Amino acid sequence: MTDKFTLPITKENGYFEIRLESIGGLGANLCGKMLGELGALYLKLNSTSFSSYGSEKRGSPVKSHIRWCAPEKFLRLCTPVVEPNVLGIFHEALLKNYPLLSDCTEHTCILLNTNLSREEAAETYHIPHGRLFCIPALDIAIAEKSRVNMVMLGAITAILGFVPLEMAEELCKNTVGKKYPHLIEANLNGLRRGFEHVKEQRPLICSDGISEKNVKPDTNTHTIPDTTFPLNTKNPIASSTSYTWGYKNAPIGGINPRIGSTVSNDLSASREGYIPLFIKDRCINCGLCDSTCPDFVFQFMPGIYKEKECMVNMGPDYTHCKGCLRCVEVCPTNALVMALEKDYPEKPFDRPNKNLLTNQFSYTKHGPDASITGESYLTEQQIHGGVI
Amino acid sequence: MEKQNILYESGNELAAYAAKQINYHVMGYYPITPSTQIAENLDNMKAENLHDITLIAAEGEHSAAGICYGASTAGARVFNATSANGLLYALEQFPVQSGTRFPMVMNVACRTVSGPLCIKGDHSDIMYMLNTGWIILFAHSPQMVYDLNILGLKLAEKVNLPVAIAFDGFFTSHQKQKCMVFEDDNVVQSFLGDKNPTYSLLDLKHPITIGSYMNEPDVMNNRYQIHLAMRDASTYLPTLFTEYEKISGRHYDTIEGYRYDDAEIMLIVLGSSYHTAKEAIDKLRDEQDLRIGAVTLISLRPFPKTLINYFPAARTIIILDRQDSYGAEGGNLSMEIRSSFYRKTHARILSRVYGLGGKDLFVEDVLAIIKECIHPRASLFAYYGITEGQIGEKQPEYFAPLTEEEQSPGITVCNYDCESRKMIVTSGKLSDATAMPMRIAPGHGACPGCGIPVNLNLLLKGIEGNVVVLFQTGCGMIITTGYPKTAFRIPYIHNLFQNGAATLSGVEAAFQELKRRGEYPEGDITFLMVSGDGGMDIGMGSALGTALRNQHVILFEYDNGGYMNTGYQLSYSTPKGAKSSTSHLGKNQYGKTFFHKDTPEIMAATHIPYVATVAESNPTDFIKKAAKAAAYSRDFGTAYIKALSACPLNWNDKPNLERSVIAAAVDSCYFPLYEVEQGITTLNYNPITNNKKIPIEKWFSMMGRTKHLVQEEYSDIVADIQAEVDRRFARLIARSENRLL
Repeated sequence: MTDKFTLPITKENGYFEIRLESIGGLGANLCGKMLGELGALYLKLNSTSFSSYGSEKRGSPVKSHIRWCAPEKFLRLCTPVVEPNVLGIFHEALLKNYPLLSDCTEHTCILLNTNLSREEAAETYHIPHGRLFCIPALDIAIAEKSRVNMVMLGAITAILGFVPLEMAEELCKNTVGKKYPHLIEANLNGLRRGFEHVKEQRPLICSDGISEKNVKPDTNTHTIPDTTFPLNTKNPIASSTSYTWGYKNAPIGGINPRIGSTVSNDLSASREGYIPLFIKDRCINCGLCDSTCPDFVFQFMPGIYKEKECMVNMGPDYTHCKGCLRCVEVCPTNALVMALEKDYPEKPFDRPNKNLLTNQFSYTKHGPDASITGESYLTEQQIHGGVI
Repeated sequence: MEKQNILYESGNELAAYAAKQINYHVMGYYPITPSTQIAENLDNMKAENLHDITLIAAEGEHSAAGICYGASTAGARVFNATSANGLLYALEQFPVQSGTRFPMVMNVACRTVSGPLCIKGDHSDIMYMLNTGWIILFAHSPQMVYDLNILGLKLAEKVNLPVAIAFDGFFTSHQKQKCMVFEDDNVVQSFLGDKNPTYSLLDLKHPITIGSYMNEPDVMNNRYQIHLAMRDASTYLPTLFTEYEKISGRHYDTIEGYRYDDAEIMLIVLGSSYHTAKEAIDKLRDEQDLRIGAVTLISLRPFPKTLINYFPAARTIIILDRQDSYGAEGGNLSMEIRSSFYRKTHARILSRVYGLGGKDLFVEDVLAIIKECIHPRASLFAYYGITEGQIGEKQPEYFAPLTEEEQSPGITVCNYDCESRKMIVTSGKLSDATAMPMRIAPGHGACPGCGIPVNLNLLLKGIEGNVVVLFQTGCGMIITTGYPKTAFRIPYIHNLFQNGAATLSGVEAAFQELKRRGEYPEGDITFLMVSGDGGMDIGMGSALGTALRNQHVILFEYDNGGYMNTGYQLSYSTPKGAKSSTSHLGKNQYGKTFFHKDTPEIMAATHIPYVATVAESNPTDFIKKAAKAAAYSRDFGTAYIKALSACPLNWNDKPNLERSVIAAAVDSCYFPLYEVEQGITTLNYNPITNNKKIPIEKWFSMMGRTKHLVQEEYSDIVADIQAEVDRRFARLIARSENRLL
């Protein structure tokens, strides 16, 4: 690009904004940084980018914010992007638990990584507003031995319309080439396939969805259960989250008298496609699983084993199992084996925490839907040689 | 104007880049979010041979400041970076630096001060610096972080005062922006000129005494000299800005104003929020024809006298404080402005505290504040962005508090044998241990496969009866107590990791005293401190003090060999050769350069009744030692236990295999299992006699952080580590064979 480039579209405030929604490990952070660089160094605009994390844990939701404006305009905003021009969703399972689309306007271009068609996706996820593009980014990434983030970057480039593919290629070469020169070609192919796939598409205009009020992310309000990432209002779980602590009713000093309240977290989304499957007949109640489990899931109760009174393993509490499979490794009798989660929608021997006083409460889900996360995330990990 | 390149970097990266260009002699630092990236970036550049700065990872911010002070007295150019409680921990050193008049530059990525611990940004740390005699420059953009780092050093050396460059943590420190940097490092260096220290401790031809013992009236004069130096800084700053503009093309001043000439309403705001305010001002001017403007301070110290000139038409002045001076009805920015405007304006001055703990300030928020403040009856002081809370559906009680009886299932029984002077533990079978109720609830946020909860579980299985725990800052506390939830079912307290052992000493002392006076019911409590290896670096002094007083507590260390909570910087327990974000691998560096700390030996040297190492790969041994530690802590004094704790995220290995990785560490003799009971060492497991000994390389090959060491080019380093591990192990065998050693 030689001459001064002018952004063909901006929002009312003069900025062009992109937000990426992903889970840790899919490279959205790098993609955001690359888009920031694209703005600053290639388009010679003013540009900023930053990420926000729910947690450092693998598989946790990650947001990346990118903001561009004309070079003569000082880039003044450092707040998260709301009502983005382009919304890139790296993992469709996020849509089940988080209201990612709540601030979309009719102008928002939504890029969704999915194998569904645009029509199917619009219906499945109740896309309220916006111009929907879909791309099977994971399949393309696997085919090209690239990464989801490069495919998504190519697709976003196509959606933008004002960035030539060659420029994105140059960016990819400079970013990947710095550390992993041998991976340039595969990643370029991923980028190109992403670009081509979306270039052919006409967006599906979504407008008949439920119109939700635009919500500004508010990090000050603590809701019990925790809503750092507010739940989708369509999700029935969300309806009971009405108790919040504020300065009038929170115990002073941040003191927390609600003992063991993390038990109301549902961490099944941390699993990456596999569960430890419990086969009770084989269990000798040795307690090794309980000694290696970081998530305290095994429910041992007094009982009878081989005609002797002892502590008996009644099964794992899958709500809190993060699927690390430590227990499978240590089990001496194969009473715990690795199994694909999708094969066991109803988990045998699933035992809620034995000490709970009540089951009359709703769990806060953390992360995207586990059964979907898992498999695609694992496949993503299997693509060797990609960049992080 | 000098040739410049465009970079796309964050404030932290640019601070590091400026430091690289200046090529400081020494940086003493201690990692603390959000300033850590500065040291990390410099280490990364060092690994690639891009600068010669000697980077010293201290064991705490207080020491880091000491390293910097020492280096600056030796005539070196010195650099530091910190935040929040790190800054407060070092605070005592800052007046020493300024009072003895040695220049240096320290970056402060501003963050809120604990407690309740929060890592996000506000200005509560930097305001503690106002009275330290440091020059304080506040950068509101990444570009400015770069520029002020260069300007700041020149200013520091001109007036012989240290300079702090402050900027908003996360907003300015982490957000990337387009910036200009000098293409040639020499431009920066020639702008600064040669370092000509006024005094140097190393000038052997002119020996000097630094740090005199001084009383009145000399102290008065010494302080007045600092006052005069600040005045000199005020006088010199405009010249300096002009000089810098000549080479950079960028103009700075001690104050920046925006649309203030005719403004009847003026906002005063520090840092990145200044730009947000400008956005709001444009909107109000365009849409509502409000005469409104804003001003920000670049120089907090010296405080610019000309500030009032930016308020020619002001009738309402709104000061936005990102910090509160509790009880003063305003933050320190408000205090400063109000006193400097005394009798100089008739405007109504209002203060609003906003954005604490990193709460975002959207343009809409600024608009709302203005709208509220221009109301004639608006209160002069208020918080913006607080919420009352809402009493909704009753929340359930998830668990009943654990009784002493429930926590005493009799898994282990300890009896002290006076003759052998040993605590005899019976039982402790793993299958029985499942009867111990979980004192920590599931649903905590540890990574899949994390070793910390595993070790806590094994430890707590061995401790019968009531337990009160203290966690020092680290992954263990972050994953369990994220507000508004907590994983603990037993009494828990957190304190910052340089002080946990002392805090628990206080709890224990109070317990004993209350009991002695009959103000506390009968019964016993085991007091347990849980710390990472990081906490045993910065908190070593506190732990040693506790041990030397022989307080009745257990000090438990989960050693995952790094500061994992902040993104894996090296700790003193990190294995030599391991990669970390402050010991990068590069053509100039192979990873961490010094051996892992032998904390059990340090603790054993305090002659406390019980010291032990444990590993989850030997769970029964672990539980028994936990039981012993509890018995010793109740009846004899301090017990210390250390567990090697897996970190799949930063060890870069598979979560499911962690127990075998720990077993390999034990079998390689890197982490021997032994105990020192009343001064007598027992080796609990000898890999050599069990025919299980493996070379250290085998263990290294199991973790991504050390895998590179297996390559031929690092064979010398591995041999070196192997020799040290074998030497330590041989000493241990000798000690286990001789009661006097």
